[in-house]
Amino acid sequence: MPQSAEKALDHAPLFCEPEYRQMLAEKKLNFECPHPDQVVSDQREFTKSWKYREKNLARQALVVNPAKACQPLGAVFAAAGFERTMSFVHGSQGCVAYYRSHLSRHFKEPSSVVSSSMTEDAAVFGGLKNMVDGLANTYKLYNPKMIAVSTTCMAEVIGDDLHGFIENAKSEGSVPRDFDVPFAHTPAFVGSHVDGYDSMVKGVLENFWKGTARTEATATINIIPGFDGFCVGNNRELKRLLDLMQVNYMFIQDASDQFDTPSDGNFRMYDGGTSINDVKAALNAEWTLSLQYYNTRKTLDYCRDVGQAATSFHYPLGVEATDELLMVISEISGREIPEAIRLERGRLIDAMADSQAWLYGKKYAIYGDPDFVYAMARFIMETGGEPTHCLATNGTSAWEDEMKELLASSPFGKNAQVWPGKDLWALRSLLFTEPVDLLIGNSYGKYLERDTGTPLVRLMFPIFDRHHHHRFPLMGYQGGLRLLTAILDKIFDNLDRETMHAGVTDYSYDLTR
Amino acid sequence: MSSLNAKNKDAFHELASEKSGSKGPKARLRNCARPMAPGTAVGGCAFDGAKVALQPITDVAHLIHAPLACEGNSWDNRGAASSGPTLWRTSFTTDLTEIDIVMGHSERKLFKAIREIKDGYAPAAIFVYSTCVTAMIGDDIDVVCKRATDEFALPVVPVNAPGFVGSKNLGNKLAGEALLKHVIGTVEPDEPGLCDINILGEFNLSGEFWQVKPLLDKLGVRVRACIPGDARYLQVASAHRSRAAMTVCSTAFVALARKMQERWDIPFFEGSFYGISGTSEALRRIADLLVKKGADPSLLHRTEILVAEEEEKVWKRLEAYRPRLEGKRVLLNTGGVKSWSVVHALMEIGMEIVGTSVKKSTLEDRERVKQTLKEENLVFESMSPRELFSLLLERKADIMLSGGRTQYIALKAKLPWLDINQERHHAYAGYEGMVQLARQIDLAIHNPMWPQVREPAPWEQALVV
Ligand code: SF4
Ligand code: SF4
Repeated sequence: MPQSAEKALDHAPLFCEPEYRQMLAEKKLNFECPHPDQVVSDQREFTKSWKYREKNLARQALVVNPAKACQPLGAVFAAAGFERTMSFVHGSQGCVAYYRSHLSRHFKEPSSVVSSSMTEDAAVFGGLKNMVDGLANTYKLYNPKMIAVSTTCMAEVIGDDLHGFIENAKSEGSVPRDFDVPFAHTPAFVGSHVDGYDSMVKGVLENFWKGTARTEATATINIIPGFDGFCVGNNRELKRLLDLMQVNYMFIQDASDQFDTPSDGNFRMYDGGTSINDVKAALNAEWTLSLQYYNTRKTLDYCRDVGQAATSFHYPLGVEATDELLMVISEISGREIPEAIRLERGRLIDAMADSQAWLYGKKYAIYGDPDFVYAMARFIMETGGEPTHCLATNGTSAWEDEMKELLASSPFGKNAQVWPGKDLWALRSLLFTEPVDLLIGNSYGKYLERDTGTPLVRLMFPIFDRHHHHRFPLMGYQGGLRLLTAILDKIFDNLDRETMHAGVTDYSYDLTR
Repeated sequence: MSSLNAKNKDAFHELASEKSGSKGPKARLRNCARPMAPGTAVGGCAFDGAKVALQPITDVAHLIHAPLACEGNSWDNRGAASSGPTLWRTSFTTDLTEIDIVMGHSERKLFKAIREIKDGYAPAAIFVYSTCVTAMIGDDIDVVCKRATDEFALPVVPVNAPGFVGSKNLGNKLAGEALLKHVIGTVEPDEPGLCDINILGEFNLSGEFWQVKPLLDKLGVRVRACIPGDARYLQVASAHRSRAAMTVCSTAFVALARKMQERWDIPFFEGSFYGISGTSEALRRIADLLVKKGADPSLLHRTEILVAEEEEKVWKRLEAYRPRLEGKRVLLNTGGVKSWSVVHALMEIGMEIVGTSVKKSTLEDRERVKQTLKEENLVFESMSPRELFSLLLERKADIMLSGGRTQYIALKAKLPWLDINQERHHAYAGYEGMVQLARQIDLAIHNPMWPQVREPAPWEQALVV
């Protein structure tokens, strides 16, 4: 045995020891009925071919390795951005366990969500009783200021009516009459987590705004960040910029503190978030800006309906997109963009110029949520890179059109391809047949990295296998710097690995780059 | 849904008839399959339980028949290890949309998806899982699987455990049912041996079963099937020719073990590979059962020799850790077999247990906790994050051992924490595992970062003085 008390091996190296290797090889021989090595390697080669790619992309009934989550997950994330708000998911309990682990694994923070734990009885007789009991228990146990209700597929298939149910529960005394229980129907067989986010934010606004008339518009700007795995860094960075500009603003849905509580010996079930008073006051804002279009379509329509001006961005990353955001804010607030921000911008551009030779002409594959892929493609073209494959499992044909328009606007987008609705197994074929230099996406890309040898830059949600990325901003000029550095690090690390073999490849193993 | 109903009744019935323990079937049912109260904390669903229990069968394609996210939210989230195929980690789902549901296309889509898997991946078998939505709209996956099996000459196995029928626990059992009904006994092995065993309910997390297997190899005991950890379809299908069995996580597969005993006369026992005496006992009982079933009696003697040798070695190796761990206070928030086996293992090296949870534990598990700990009030059911937080502080724990979802509770209490559930990155089984466990606890407790975390900022200290 290779283990000893002085030198206890972790599991990664341990099972590489010869004893274990042999044991595992024997298992293969005795129990796997393995195909001959030749057949296996032929098959492996085949999956890299154009022919396989065609078959793979033609798949209709089967999704393999999806890059999207479902509506209620988005709703749960949205609810976490309001003061002392407990998410209550009406449906069977299993889904909720997934949302909690998902958020917890990404943010490295506890995540509290409850479910109405519907069972077979509820499937037959409807989930009213679960709602009545569930709201009562949640109210008693977790002392929230607000309970945000969303649904899983199950409740949607039965057709449970949330509004009626909540009214019923209130009459039965589950929660006080005037207690706030905003809700959103979030059937997961439609759309994805970004739609769930949209519905929940809209549900919260409606809860507080409905039936209230707008008084004279105040000169504030509402900002809705959208579903953002980097909200911890991003929201704080944006607030810093807005403070520098001395703008009156209000974040609607701000999960940055909820998912980044300090270690000081206190347990916070809730932290930060937009306060209920602020949400109420936000009705009178002049403008509502959304930082992500596909996350907030319905919400923005609603804001317009109540009389606000509204506009949206696609996840403002990089120079131009940040310029645009700041200019819009400056225009609607009448505030100048101060010198300090001008200097920041200059520094980002300087950095891009310093490194341009390393970035020019690099090819990328990007996957993730629609707004993010859009933003990333735009930034990459700013650096002289080519976004060869842009893929969003939850991308629609409208997104496809918008992407194409963006790509057509730059010579670097000339050869780019857009892949709405495709999964990561499709991307695998794309990477084999039309390889790129770098892959940008979430942690699930590590299998593509392994299979295709394309280095992965981890961005967006979820990132399970690296720590703390979400604490740093991607938005704004500072965020641009961080993005740039992340990409460059990957390029240089990779170059070092390729050139480190003494006497063989190390003629390019350089100290200065 | 009526057929489903009947099947679940069966599983419930099975739960209710579990032997031993003094409580009646009703109470038992409440214990094991009781749904969570609405609006309290939540655990996984039956579908999750079934998938968890079967997915580590590595050369099988696991197809989730559902709207996207039952799978989209959860694929590849467990750390079982495979010595070969990666297929089990690939996520397959039918991604049902509103149109499929409204138009009633879902069964056809499922059949097509099965074909696409067969064409694209040539798996040893395909397991098809129903979920809440597909069960509710009345999809009959049994029929689709049957048709696919016939048409493609490939085992296509239905797993009927939609989330809403109950807890993760129940899902584990339904998974066992599926194996029993469709897989085990369908393949005859070429050369069954007198020393073949099955290990049931061992997940091979972080490869930990590989630390136990060499011990069995040394004894000439062959693991015909370890279900599910690092299993191959053929192993599972021929598991009925083993001579004896051990269940490791009883919660998951004890019912399966019992039925295999009834059907194929395979005697079994419930054991654990955690801790020194736990491992030794398991080896002895395996040997004992095999000999009773006709293996060469010298096996008993050889086992004693091996146990003596290994125990001596491991105690020697643990000496390095004992003075550093003796008297340290541990709180366990885990479930099932670990609620007693790890407790026992830690007590063996002189640690003090200040609490252990018994969620997801069978009655037998609970009995054992009681026997091991003696003190009733150290045992608790699952609790809310805040209660857990208070408990850690009240009982002055030095460390919490739990799963990932509660890790941050310990960390917010400024306490060290170690993962002993499915996401852990170290293997704790067998004699080897005990050393690793001691080492990891030692590292966690004695990390120089803790004083830093616990003391106030220097300027605050200055104010106090
Ligand atoms: S897709 Fe539907 S059923 Fe599945 S996890 Fe999401 S809400 Fe639950
Ligand atoms: S929908 Fe049902 S089967 Fe799917 S995760 Fe939720 S509870 Fe489990």
